[in-house]
Amino acid sequence: MKMEFDEFLAAPECGVVIVTYPDIFRTEAGLRHGKFSKEYQELSAVIVLDSGDMAKIEVTDGDLVEIKSEAGVVVVRVKESEKEHPGIGYMPEGAWAYILGASPVTPPASTLALSAKVGRSRQEIPAIEDVYRR
Amino acid sequence: MVCTGCALLCDDVEIGENGCRHACRIGDAHITSTNQIDPMVNQSPVDMDAAIKSAAEILVSAEKPVFVGFGNSVTEAQATGIELAEKVGAEIKTFHTDIFDDILDGRVKTCTLPEVRDYADVIIFLGCDPMNTHPRLLSRYAYYPRGEKRQHGWEEDRTAITIDLRFSHTASICKEAYTIDPNRQIEFMDALMDALSNKVPKTTYDKKRILKLAGTLKKAEFGVIFAGTGASAPPRDAIIRLMDRLNESSDFRLLPLAPGYNLRSIAEQLRQLHNRPGDDGDGGSDSSSGGSGMDLHEADCILCLGFDLMNSLPAHGINGKMIVIDPNETLTSRYADVVIPCAAGGIDCAGSAVRMDGETVEIPLIRESERLSDGAILKQLLEVV
Repeated sequence: MKMEFDEFLAAPECGVVIVTYPDIFRTEAGLRHGKFSKEYQELSAVIVLDSGDMAKIEVTDGDLVEIKSEAGVVVVRVKESEKEHPGIGYMPEGAWAYILGASPVTPPASTLALSAKVGRSRQEIPAIEDVYRR
Repeated sequence: MVCTGCALLCDDVEIGENGCRHACRIGDAHITSTNQIDPMVNQSPVDMDAAIKSAAEILVSAEKPVFVGFGNSVTEAQATGIELAEKVGAEIKTFHTDIFDDILDGRVKTCTLPEVRDYADVIIFLGCDPMNTHPRLLSRYAYYPRGEKRQHGWEEDRTAITIDLRFSHTASICKEAYTIDPNRQIEFMDALMDALSNKVPKTTYDKKRILKLAGTLKKAEFGVIFAGTGASAPPRDAIIRLMDRLNESSDFRLLPLAPGYNLRSIAEQLRQLHNRPGDDGDGGSDSSSGGSGMDLHEADCILCLGFDLMNSLPAHGINGKMIVIDPNETLTSRYADVVIPCAAGGIDCAGSAVRMDGETVEIPLIRESERLSDGAILKQLLEVV
C-alpha cells in the first residue's frame, strides 16, 4: 500500500471543552427514519467548532475530525460556528458525544465540562452500532 | 388528540388523512413514526409469548435488577411497573426527576403553564433550549401568547432571557442571552447571586450585564424559570439557591423541561410510594435520578421501559442482562437480550399522563393496533414472576 508523506506526521490537535446540545432536526430524524439511519447519523456525528480552533487544526467546514477524551475516541464531521467560542466544541446529544463521557445520566453530568483533544482524521465516521458495542 | 411527543402534551393536535395539524416537528414525527421493532431474544426474532417468558426468567433470576426510564409510559403502566419492581426487588432509576422532587416536596415554588401564559412577565430559560426540545412552549405559554394580565404579549409585557452554555435557537429570539463559559459556570451563578444581594459581583464576566440581569429579575412581578436537565444545565443546588434568593425580593416559580412526556407522573408515584405509612424508603423499590442508588454497571438485569439507555451512556457502562420494552427500535434494543415491542402511549395505547406542570391529561388513542401496551406487558410479567 502506498503511503503519502504526511501520513507519517501527527495531525495538529487543539484542546476543547465538549458541551452537548439538543437538536430538533436530529430528534425528528431519529423518530422518522430510525436511529440507525444515515439521516440521524449525519445530524448526530457533528462538532461545531470556532473558526480559530479550526484553523489551528487545519480543517475546514465538512472535514472529519477525531475527538479524544479520557473516556473514548470518536470521529465526527466538523461544522464551522457562526459565533466565536474558542476552546469550546458543541456536539448534539447522543451516542457520538456520550462515547466521550458526556453522558446526561451518569453523575455529575450537570456540572460536566468535558475536556477533549480534537484533530484532523483520516478515519470514517463510525456507525452508531460501532460507537457503542457491548 | 393529545401529542405525547414531549411533556407539554399539546391537546390541540388534529390527525387527518393528510397528516397532523398543529403538531411540531417532534410531535409530527412521533405520531407518524413507523419505526417499530419485533420481539427478540438474543437478537433473534421470536413470538411475543417467548419474549415475555424470557424476560420473566431473567427477572426471576436477577439479584440486582434495575428498572430505568418510565418517562414515556402512561401513568397506569408506570404504576404496574412499580408493582413489578417491588415484586422482584428492583431499584427504579428515573433520570432527570430531581427538580420534580424539589417541587413536590415544596422546596421550590412552581405554577401551571396557563399561569405562565396569563401572568409571567420575566421568563428565564436556564440551561435549556425549548425551541429544540419543547417546540411549542414559547408559542402556547411562555412568550408569544397574550395572557390575562399580559395582553401585549412578548412585544411589551414579557422579557425572556436565556442563560446557557451555548447561544441556542431559543437565545436567538430572546431579548437577552447570557452565554456562560463551561469552565466558569459557578463563577457566573455566584456573580448573579451577589448582584441579587445588591453587591457588585467579583467576576471576570461583564459586571454591568450581570447587574442589569439582577435588576430585571428583582423587578419581576411573576417570574418563571424553565430549567433544563441536560449536560448544559446548572447543578440542581445552584438552581434551588437561586430560587431562594430571587424569592427574597420578587416572585419566581420553577418548571423543569425534562425529556419524556410523563416524567412528572413517575416522580409523583415514587414520592407517594416512599411517603406511605410504614415505608422507610429503603424497600425493594427505590427512586433515584441517576446520581444515587446502585450504579448501572453493578446491576445484573436492567429493564428499560421506553428509554434508550445505551444512547445516553458512555460505552461499556453496562454488564447485566438487558430487557427492553419500547415501541421503537433503539440502540439499546439492538443489543438487548430481550426485546418486547409495545404500543406507544397516546398513539396506539390510551391512558393518562401528568403534564410537566402537574395537570393530569387523559390520553386517547390515535389509532388501533395489535400491539400490546407496555402496561399489559408489565402485567403479564407481574403474573408470572
